[in-house]
This record gives sequence, structure tokens and C-alpha cells, in this order.
Amino acid sequence: MRVPEKGCVLCEATWGDYWDEVEGQRMFFCCDICAVEFKNMIREVIARTGWESIDEIKIDGDYRGRDCIALKGDKRYGFFVRFDSKGQVQDLNDRPITGARVEPQKSKAV
Amino acid sequence: MWLNRNITKTKTDAKSLSMLLAEFFKVGEGGLQDWVKRRFVEKFYGSRPHPFVLALQHPSRGTLLGYVVEHQHFLRQWVRSCSFIMARTDATDVILYELDNINTEFGGLGPEQPSHYELLLRMGESLGLDRTKILATPALTDTVEAIQVWDNICQQDHWVEAMVAMHGLELIANRNLRKEGARMHYFDPTILETGEVTDATRAFLREGYDADVGHSEEALDLAAKYADRFSIVEDVQATFMRSIDAFDRYLMARLERGRQFESA
Ligand SMILES: [Zn+2]
Repeated sequence: MRVPEKGCVLCEATWGDYWDEVEGQRMFFCCDICAVEFKNMIREVIARTGWESIDEIKIDGDYRGRDCIALKGDKRYGFFVRFDSKGQVQDLNDRPITGARVEPQKSKAV
Repeated sequence: MWLNRNITKTKTDAKSLSMLLAEFFKVGEGGLQDWVKRRFVEKFYGSRPHPFVLALQHPSRGTLLGYVVEHQHFLRQWVRSCSFIMARTDATDVILYELDNINTEFGGLGPEQPSHYELLLRMGESLGLDRTKILATPALTDTVEAIQVWDNICQQDHWVEAMVAMHGLELIANRNLRKEGARMHYFDPTILETGEVTDATRAFLREGYDADVGHSEEALDLAAKYADRFSIVEDVQATFMRSIDAFDRYLMARLERGRQFESA
């Protein structure tokens, strides 16, 4: 997956130092909550699109909600996402969520 | 997360960061009152106004019902919060202020002047939602968590911090915020004149529109006076930031509840 050159994969902040593995790839996050949010979002997108993997996700927005576009080859999936205070997907395109959830787990930091 | 949201997303060295923080918390000539207003406007009425405020400009039935259902819980906590402040202070002006506030918001002053809580329930009824149904609906998680934040502040922190944490939120409906740089009002005032919303909705919104102006500013004046007296201005500022974060999430809960009504 293509990720931003600099900063947290979800929010682009350059604070913090939290590394986590997403879909077999080691990624930088500013904090464990951003990591959990990102992982839950990826799961949800994969569950909805049926794609095996994602090439890139373009993200625009802030903690109140983010407009995103997931890319896979020449396919695109646009969505709006919001998280609850524990980093779970609260709302993705106004539909109830189905995907399994990733819980915050600080011990996973490497 | 706090730095990301309030100061900068870019990692800076300790010296620049302390300068940025000093700037953020600097209380100018306008005192604590102005600082509180500035931070509030920035968060809810700045370049990215809060989505609930945007939705309330010309509200749908769902948005208003989301407001009703979640706000009943907020107002019940409100009374608890004001009561904690009263219980923990011996300042007569503060006690009188809180008493008056509890009456306006919750107790009401006879049939002529129903409380804000009563007006809220009537607004819900006017939109076709039964009172018993409103009262029986539990709050969404975001509302519950926000209420928990306020309850903790009011029980555990200094009562001056509690005052700013609670009454600072009344700024949301303050018409004077336009002068402080707010990009819009809480709602488009023309809806008070047209037939766009029900009479009970107008009555509820008008009450806030008229009442909260003096309200929140008087509370901030009192709080500023006592924050100085007890030398706790910085504690008050930090607590206020926690409170408006909770409020932000709580306003999102109103929208989420509103969507449930729209898809039902
Ligand atoms: Zn982040």
C-alpha cells in the first residue's frame, strides 16, 4: 500500500512514534488510536469491496469525519468514515458496519 | 492528539513548542472571557464550522429530533453540573446565578415561562415524537461519554473550572459571536420568521437565542473574577479545552441520532 512519505498514515501528524503492521506492511502512526482507526477502516473497506488488497487510500478531513477514496488498480471506492472514541468505525457511508473490529492494544508497538 | 488538534500537526522542537503553547494559552487584555470565546469560535464557528451547526442553519426534521433526543440527557446532566457548582462554592453571586440558571433551564417559572427542557420536549412532540418515547430513549455512546466528562469535571475539579466548562458551552447559541469572528449564527435567524419550522421549534430556538446571550457572558465574568482570585486561570483553560472536545463529540451524536430518524 502506498502511504504518505511523512507523518501518520491516518492524520499526517509528525508527532509521536508508534509503528504497527497493517496488511503485512510496517507503518508509522502518531498514536495507537490512529493505528487502530486505520486498521479498522482497512478491514471495513476490504469487506465492502471484496478486494484482496488496497493500493492507496486518499484521505481528506479531520477527527469529525474523513472523506476517502480507496484505489485498487483502476478501481476506486469513495467513502466517508467516522470513528468512535475507542477507534472503532462508527459510520461508513451511513451504513451499519459489519467487519470484525481491531481493539486498541498498546503491546503491539514495535 | 491534543497537540494535533489544537497546536500543530508538525513535530517541533521544545523551544518552538513552548512558544506555540504560550501563545495558545495567552490571556490578553479582554481577560479569560475573551480567551474562552476565541477558542470556542475557532473550534465551532471557524474555518471548519461544526457539522451540527451547518445542519441547524435550515434544519431537517431528523436533525431537530436528534437534537431533542440527545439534548434531554445533556439538560439532565446540566442540572447536576450546576448543582455541584452550587454545592462546592460559598460565593453568593455564583449561587444566585446558578439558581437562576437551573430554573430557566430545568425548573421553569410557572406556566407562563416553561423551562428550556420543557420547550425541548414540546419541540419533539411538534415533530411527531411522543414525549414518553423521547424520555424512554437512552443516549448514544458519544453523549454518555461526554456527560461523563462533565460529571467528572464538576465533581472533581475546582468549581470555577466547572463553571467555565459548563457555561462556556452556552456560547454555542450566543448571537454576539459574529462580532468575535464566527462565520455564522447557531441557526439562520430567518427560520424564526418563516414557516420553515414548527411553532414549538421556534419557541425552543428563540428561547436560547434570546436567553443565552446574557447568560453565558455573565457566567464567564464571574468565573474570570474567581479564577484570578484563586490563581487558577491555567487550570480553567485546560479544563475548558477538555469540555469543548466533549461537546464537539456530543454535537456529532445529535447528528448521528438525526440520521436514524431520517432513515427510519
Ligand atoms: Zn495520527
